[in-house]
Amino acid sequence: MRAFRTTLLLAICSLMLFSCADVRAWERGYLAREEMAWAPDALESSLNDHIFFSKEASSGGNSAAGGGCGCN
Amino acid sequence: MKNIASRNIIALSTTALALPGIALADAPPTQSTISYKLSNYQEDDLSRSEAPLSDLERYDIDVHQFQLVSALGRNMSLHVDANYESLSGASPWFTSRGLDGEPIVNLSGASGISDRRTELSVGSRYYLENGSFGGNIGYSEEDDYRAVYFGFNTERHYNNDLTTVSAGLSHSSDKVFPTDAALFNRVEEEDKQSTSVFASVSQIINQVSSFQSALSFTEQSGFLSDPYKLRDIRPDDKTQIAWSNSYRRFFVSANAAFHVNYRYYHDDFGISSHTSDVSWHQNLGRTFQLVPQLRYYSQSAADFFTNVDDFLSPISEYQSSDYRLSAFGAVSGGISVIADMGSWKATLTAERYLANDKYSAYEVSQPSTALVKYNRISLGIDFRF
Repeated sequence: MRAFRTTLLLAICSLMLFSCADVRAWERGYLAREEMAWAPDALESSLNDHIFFSKEASSGGNSAAGGGCGCN
Repeated sequence: MKNIASRNIIALSTTALALPGIALADAPPTQSTISYKLSNYQEDDLSRSEAPLSDLERYDIDVHQFQLVSALGRNMSLHVDANYESLSGASPWFTSRGLDGEPIVNLSGASGISDRRTELSVGSRYYLENGSFGGNIGYSEEDDYRAVYFGFNTERHYNNDLTTVSAGLSHSSDKVFPTDAALFNRVEEEDKQSTSVFASVSQIINQVSSFQSALSFTEQSGFLSDPYKLRDIRPDDKTQIAWSNSYRRFFVSANAAFHVNYRYYHDDFGISSHTSDVSWHQNLGRTFQLVPQLRYYSQSAADFFTNVDDFLSPISEYQSSDYRLSAFGAVSGGISVIADMGSWKATLTAERYLANDKYSAYEVSQPSTALVKYNRISLGIDFRF
């Protein structure tokens, strides 16, 4: 089941990568909007990462970890 | 023809300068931004059935965050982050079995715990024609914990800037020195090291959507136990892997952006987890934006998790009753209201988080006590100049 799930996700990712249109620079207005950023509110993302790091066992993902804390 | 070419060049330049996440050619920010966010995080009290013998009050935390992002000459930017937290309340100390045989929790210190955390991080970024690289150093201090850390990362654009590849590394050197160590037979002082690397690929799919996939590895070594728990013995190294995927799509007819993120996580304590969240960024006219968001999280238990501490087992045997190492699920929902008035932007956010073993996507053989429920409210102000 786990192997199937991984394969399915990889397949979806690959499909998305290979089905990309050639988007010219002047056609990227919507992509450039603030609300389309990976993390539109840096402080909000940082706060959420800190809370979830303190209250759940998982961390990491799309950046390298920062400093630890003695959060109990 | 000349007019069309000029319009294209103007459009191209404007777009390039505005792209926040998917840059055409990297450049320092054109405006400086000072941001401040004040948040209150309040955990629900425990119920009397969960903690029959102790106070019920848990953490109440105020968080102040400050950030400055500014250009530094023609090709560099400066990033300064400062955080201050003050907390009071109590956290689980040990677990035992109640009169009915069910696990119960005993909180530490009752209303006596209070702590502060201060953090400062300074970073800089150098922008090239086809990418950028940057680094930061940081320092975080609490009454009983200190962390010194640094990081480097770089990104480069390919394929007519449709594809961005990023990679980075960070290291944190931490020291824990629990309060009242002699009184409660806690460790006096211990060290912990964490090293983390990540790589990601971002891809523009079409004019309104993009996708990012990222992989990170973190290696921790040293004292990874909780010094405030009566019996908490964990391995002294841990390897973590996380795979994150993000998708963004702008709906032109609705004037809104849709975000969806998914992360798979696994570590060699035996914990695996799934995290997914979605948010809808609805523009309302030119000034306001409404952002409802939902998140689901579920993790399996660590191999050595126990919901009732065993004080008779040898101290060489790993065990922990930390609820964060148990199998559970959590749902959270929130909403943000954003008012963007040009130079000034205000953001008000309210969030509710509920953890419960019944929400778990994994098998729960030992349900934990003291899973967290909390409310969080934040007010943020950004000033651009």
